[in-house]
Amino acid sequence: MNATPHPADADLVLADIAGLLARLVEDEYGLDDVEIGMTTTFNRDLELESIDLVTLSGLLEERYGGQVNFAEFLAGMEFDEIVELTVGRLVEYVVSSLKTAGAS
Amino acid sequence: MAMVDIGELRLHVQRIGPRDGRPVTGTVVLVHGLLTDSLASYYFTVAPAFAAAGLDVVMYDLRGHGRSERPPDGYTLDDGIDDLRALLDRLAVTGPVHLVGNSYGGTIAFGYAARYPGQVASVSLIESEPATAAWASKLGGILDRVMTQLAYNEPDALAWITANRGHNTARLARGAARLARDTTLGKDIPASRVLTDERIGAVRCPVLGVYGGDSDLAELAPRLRSLLPDCRTVVIPGHEHSVLVEAAGTVGGHVLALIRGALAAGRPGAGAR
Repeated sequence: MNATPHPADADLVLADIAGLLARLVEDEYGLDDVEIGMTTTFNRDLELESIDLVTLSGLLEERYGGQVNFAEFLAGMEFDEIVELTVGRLVEYVVSSLKTAGAS
Repeated sequence: MAMVDIGELRLHVQRIGPRDGRPVTGTVVLVHGLLTDSLASYYFTVAPAFAAAGLDVVMYDLRGHGRSERPPDGYTLDDGIDDLRALLDRLAVTGPVHLVGNSYGGTIAFGYAARYPGQVASVSLIESEPATAAWASKLGGILDRVMTQLAYNEPDALAWITANRGHNTARLARGAARLARDTTLGKDIPASRVLTDERIGAVRCPVLGVYGGDSDLAELAPRLRSLLPDCRTVVIPGHEHSVLVEAAGTVGGHVLALIRGALAAGRPGAGAR
């Protein structure tokens, strides 16, 4: 899938990720009315299970390519941090990964 | 998401390897535990480090679990070993692999090593044990409680779990209840064929046992060492049955040390790609 040009702007990345998450939540749970913003949590607000995050990881790689590695991002976190993870934190990670990739 | 058709059903598989075209030194297959578990327990913990260490990392959801298909039956230990065999055949992984199993996944991994000794380069058991009569009886008791107290008493059970263990545990319990009701897993696993001490002792590849210091299973470590010709065990203080997820760095380090030792001793593990 053509993943370029990469939007490195947080608003664009948020819109992208909200779209991916809306698709995932609809595919897995049949919900089509979830609101997703920077403070939305994966666990409590979206009720995603860890296996859903594996699916999300694949969607992120499809969208942004190999420089966005969600598994490595989460593997560097404490268990409690993952439970509290927000969409905003993922957006920040994606923006910084794309900037790093763009600069190298 | 990669679904792999193994003939009887389709399994959800994730496979990652070293990046930037670095050579693969061996294949490690990660097998998760029962009911509430999935390959996610590896994907977000030890798998990235294993891939970075040069390993071809294969993770899959057991039948009925995660995103794999959920047939109504076929949940004995031998079925689990058959599924693993069919999956590795389908993935064209040839030659010995390093197996890692968490909880019931370790029982599958060990059973695979007992059945196919030439195909396994090392086994890491995390909070796990080989299938013995005592194991089957213990699992029978646990699964009986899952069926009677949870699967067929779900509203009351979930209310209690939510109040006492929190929202996340309740959500996991709901998934476990559904799996227990929808399949024969609860009666299949305790009815599994088990291994004699002699067959356990015939597993000659290096075996690592990793246990949480506060887990009941930690007391199995001395017996495992006495039965197996090449076995070391590690007890990680301050953890219980979830040691893989809670102390992923430590657990992963011990597993990698075992795999590196086996590789250095000339048991290569499959370099299938």
